[in-house]
Amino acid sequence: MRHLYRALTVLGNYRAQRVMGIATLAGLTATVVIGLFVVPPDATQGNVQRLMYVHVPAAWVTFLAFGVVFIASIGYLKTGRIQWDRVAAASAEIGVLFCALTIALGSLWGRPVWGTWWTWDPRLTTTAVLLLIYVGYLSLRKVADSPVRRAKWAAVVGVVGFIDVPIVHESVVWWRSLHQQATVVRLGAPTIVGSMLATLLLGFVAFSLAYGYLMAVRMRVGRLEDRSAVPVSSLSAPRARRPRPADIPAPVASADVPTSRE
Amino acid sequence: MHDLGYVAAGYTITFAMLAGYRWHLAVRARRARRYVSTVTGRARGWRRRP
Repeated sequence: MRHLYRALTVLGNYRAQRVMGIATLAGLTATVVIGLFVVPPDATQGNVQRLMYVHVPAAWVTFLAFGVVFIASIGYLKTGRIQWDRVAAASAEIGVLFCALTIALGSLWGRPVWGTWWTWDPRLTTTAVLLLIYVGYLSLRKVADSPVRRAKWAAVVGVVGFIDVPIVHESVVWWRSLHQQATVVRLGAPTIVGSMLATLLLGFVAFSLAYGYLMAVRMRVGRLEDRSAVPVSSLSAPRARRPRPADIPAPVASADVPTSRE
Repeated sequence: MHDLGYVAAGYTITFAMLAGYRWHLAVRARRARRYVSTVTGRARGWRRRP
């Protein structure tokens, strides 16, 4: 637990953040170029299958982000350190972003393949519930009046809300679903061509880097916002300003004061 | 050809959301930094000396 937190604080290092930003940009660019122009189109779905290279990694980052919320929430409930709460809040925000992106991309993929933008399929419905849970989590954070109460309530929701993640993943196995079953993370060999699998793995790496980068930036913002939210009296006093010549009163000429000539 | 529109829209949305969120974080950071520097009277790049 302590090592995980230390690893997350390293992400807050400005230089690490910069390197991660450049790596993210390079990874995403490579994913787009290879996914759009290098890998051949799918035999049955055609070009629209190219959405897989962003849709599946976005879903992976959603699970990763909510997994981090789960671990950080347990960390907060166990130790009571506010830093864990900051990690959970940052990860939940990014998780909501990627969850919304996953749904939007799935909808764009579903329209030409299934003939509909949205259907109440188990995978889609459980994903929508997942999004709502974490939007609720973020809303709850706005409602609580004290930082300790906010952290405690949010940690409980962060732990309980994570129950939906394995449900989303297994929904295509447990219920009859329009959504295709797992092709990579499954028992046995992946049912996907090598070049497509390699591009998909590149997408996973690029999106994971994007998550790490956004996490680093968001944690920095979280620290600043926490600092700006504390009462003014608890902030350290302003540094004393060196007196300027204009501040020093000029000597007053008086009859009592002897001059150097006398 | 029709499918390419969905693909282009998907990739555009992906980059727009990521870039939009990064911009949103930059705005929040700037606002918080400005607030802290106004309250403490320190310049924005100020760091505590060891």
